Amino acid sequence: MTTYQQPAPAGAAQPGVPQTAQRGYHKGSLLADWLSSTDHKVIGHLYLITSFAFFLIGGLMAMIMRAQLMGPDNHIVSDQQYNELFTMHGTIMLLLFATPLFVGFANEIMPLQIGAPDVAFPRLNLLSYYMFLFGGSILLISFLTPGGAAAFGWYAYSPLTSAQYSPGIGGDLWIMGLTLAGLGTILGGVNFVTTILCMRAPGMTMFRMPIFTWNILLTSMLVLLAFPVLAAALLVLEIDRKLGAQVFSANSGGAILWQHLFWFFGHPEVYIVALPFFGIATEVLPVFSRKPLFGYKGLVAATIAIAGLSLTVWAHHMFTTGAVLLPFFSFMTFLIAVPTGVKFFNWVGTIWRGQITFEPAMLFILGFLIVFLFGGLTGVILASPPLDFAVSDSYFVVAHFHYVLFGTVVFCMFGGFYFWWPKFTGKILDYRLGQWHFWLVFLSFNGTFLVQHWLGLMGMPRRVANYPFLPHLATTLNDISSVSSFVLGASTFVFLYNVYKTWKTGEQVTEDDPWGFSNSLEWATSCPPPRHNFTSIPRIRSERPAFDLHYPHIRSGRERVDHHKQSIGAGS
Amino acid sequence: MSPHNRADKHGAPRRGARVRLIRRWLPRAALFIALATLTAGCNSTTVDNLGLRNPLTTQAKLVVHLWQGSWIAAICVGVVVWGGILWAVIFHRKRGDTVPEQVRYNLPIEIMYTVIPFIMVGVLFYFTARDENRIDDLSAHPDVVVDVTGFQWSWEFQYPQYTVKNSANGVTEVGYMWNGKLGSSSNENELPLLEIPDHETVRFNLTSNDVIHSFWVLPFDFKRDVVPGHPNHFQVTPTGTLYGGPDSIGRCSELCGLYHSRMLFRIKIVTPAQFTAWVTAQQKLQNASGGAQ
Repeated sequence: MTTYQQPAPAGAAQPGVPQTAQRGYHKGSLLADWLSSTDHKVIGHLYLITSFAFFLIGGLMAMIMRAQLMGPDNHIVSDQQYNELFTMHGTIMLLLFATPLFVGFANEIMPLQIGAPDVAFPRLNLLSYYMFLFGGSILLISFLTPGGAAAFGWYAYSPLTSAQYSPGIGGDLWIMGLTLAGLGTILGGVNFVTTILCMRAPGMTMFRMPIFTWNILLTSMLVLLAFPVLAAALLVLEIDRKLGAQVFSANSGGAILWQHLFWFFGHPEVYIVALPFFGIATEVLPVFSRKPLFGYKGLVAATIAIAGLSLTVWAHHMFTTGAVLLPFFSFMTFLIAVPTGVKFFNWVGTIWRGQITFEPAMLFILGFLIVFLFGGLTGVILASPPLDFAVSDSYFVVAHFHYVLFGTVVFCMFGGFYFWWPKFTGKILDYRLGQWHFWLVFLSFNGTFLVQHWLGLMGMPRRVANYPFLPHLATTLNDISSVSSFVLGASTFVFLYNVYKTWKTGEQVTEDDPWGFSNSLEWATSCPPPRHNFTSIPRIRSERPAFDLHYPHIRSGRERVDHHKQSIGAGS
Repeated sequence: MSPHNRADKHGAPRRGARVRLIRRWLPRAALFIALATLTAGCNSTTVDNLGLRNPLTTQAKLVVHLWQGSWIAAICVGVVVWGGILWAVIFHRKRGDTVPEQVRYNLPIEIMYTVIPFIMVGVLFYFTARDENRIDDLSAHPDVVVDVTGFQWSWEFQYPQYTVKNSANGVTEVGYMWNGKLGSSSNENELPLLEIPDHETVRFNLTSNDVIHSFWVLPFDFKRDVVPGHPNHFQVTPTGTLYGGPDSIGRCSELCGLYHSRMLFRIKIVTPAQFTAWVTAQQKLQNASGGAQ
């Protein structure tokens, strides 16, 4: 047990467990408790709920776009509205869904995994959340302005973003909203790095930390390196727009300068929203295979290599500009495939010869492996400049991108939800509905995005509201993609119904570890954990303290499992 | 209580074996049918090129070869990894209460799966570097020069070798942004026309006066951004003619504002004789009128 004590701030909610809160006399008191809580678990709830709401909004935008693309020249939305939709879809999904989702999972789980009572700076943590919430709200509000929302694409290439080519306040709200939300992310990164480095429980050495915590550490360090560059670039852009500076003007080389600055943020950002979710996959696979993680140290090394290399590959987004050193960035991009491949072999090695069961969490993570592998393979193809010249900026890239990011973020998000729901709420999500949910997501996801590879090869550029003169097959493929995307959207209702049903009729979990074979420390405390997480902390002698606690007799080799577990707290 | 029992309790009661069999195979059959439908839609040329459009320049043929080789390598990796995942999923599912061997490390295997990817990316990089140097090669003396200007939201093609009186630019071709309201079939002829000769080296100089565009011609299997303040250049040598069809529509592939999707042009690759006839006719017309049509 650590001796760290977080004094409760005056007026803050004491019961960190909303379901058992005793103070719910007045309507809205739970909301007030949550919105003023400094408990990392409650802030985690806020982050997860808010980012999931942004996921639903961004998904709705995607379905409007897919409806528009069901014919080569539909008029469901205007060209202007379409441009606003894909700009905001990309911005919301990357910066208001995936990024805060990482912060949400990190808040919920990371302090538990290292045996800490909270994060290092709990009030800063809540402030970060409000920055994200208000920054995101500013972006959404921009739809209500006279000129509409920003319409220059989520990577906002200069000089299209200048006051001349994108007049209207929508662009300014986009810039300032992202700056505010980005500041929240930076402060979150500071918080997580400090927590992981300074607040680990006795015995929790760096090389006993769960991979999820390792990935949060490396992701937070990437945040600290990448997000300040974005914030600076955004503020300079706003100075260009409002005060008439010329930093990103084309005749002083600003068009290429913006791309360098943006992608120096943008490529690490791709890993910022990927690494935490790789971490979730790495937590889930051993539990449902009843085996330890295969090659833990190699996996840590691979993750460090990915984080380092991710800072050297940004210009592969700029191959077609004719302004970058192709061999260097191409080679670095190829190189990053090596540690990613190592991760894959670690994951396969973990499930290999296991006793695999297919709980919804495991299904989603296996789905992630299958889907993400394809995104990785097309990624290696795109890393080759001659091939990138052929398919860059086409729907092939849209498809690749969604295989990589939807495949990672959304599949692992649902995997993480099904896995940690008992830790969040004390109840297990319904098994049958979870299976339906997985198969709907898996099939409709592939139906939506697989065909888009062919669309790109046929000549359909990305970000087009209409696609005249393409072969008739293009319309058919677009229709398949659109119909599948509607199924994909509808599958969310299955999940939401599952959440509702579990909330109403789900059975309370009484064990610390409802899955039976969990490894990391969050499974050695109650579901959900008490306000400061642990009443006692078991001895940490390996990277699987909860497993050691529950199965003290298993070292290695084949042994029968004794289903009557040790009493909880023994060995602390 | 094992987690499996808990799950069963939450789910539906057990049904007959046949129902379970159908439920197990139905999604797989659906996936198979979907894939079969998709692949049936491709004709043999696109299958040979693994999806890429028919390449019509020497540079594009290099791209297609690299594309084929890379996909073969990618599919091999995919078969190994997907195979490993599916093998474990099928054959290593829970069959009893025995705890599997708690394997944590296997150094020879770990070294193997680290070293082999290094070799693979080394090979890929060798072919990539070789081909990108050939594709970006500007050394050959071009037979025809085309100055391409992208603007919101159309294209201008100038042939500076074919001078026009009272104009510094030579023969100039412009046209209209595609507008669906005029009817897409008849409207194709309104698009700006880019005409180049077969089997001659053509050099493109790309400039923009407003925002970033990108110049994409499908049979070149190539695109290059049209960046304001950063002129770009590339050369191609066509190996066949192209007079029409879906591949003859060129596009802007970088978001350039409101009507980005309508910024199209036509490309024709014709015999050298046809090209000379066409360009000199344009020259005569523009000499007579004192500028572009």
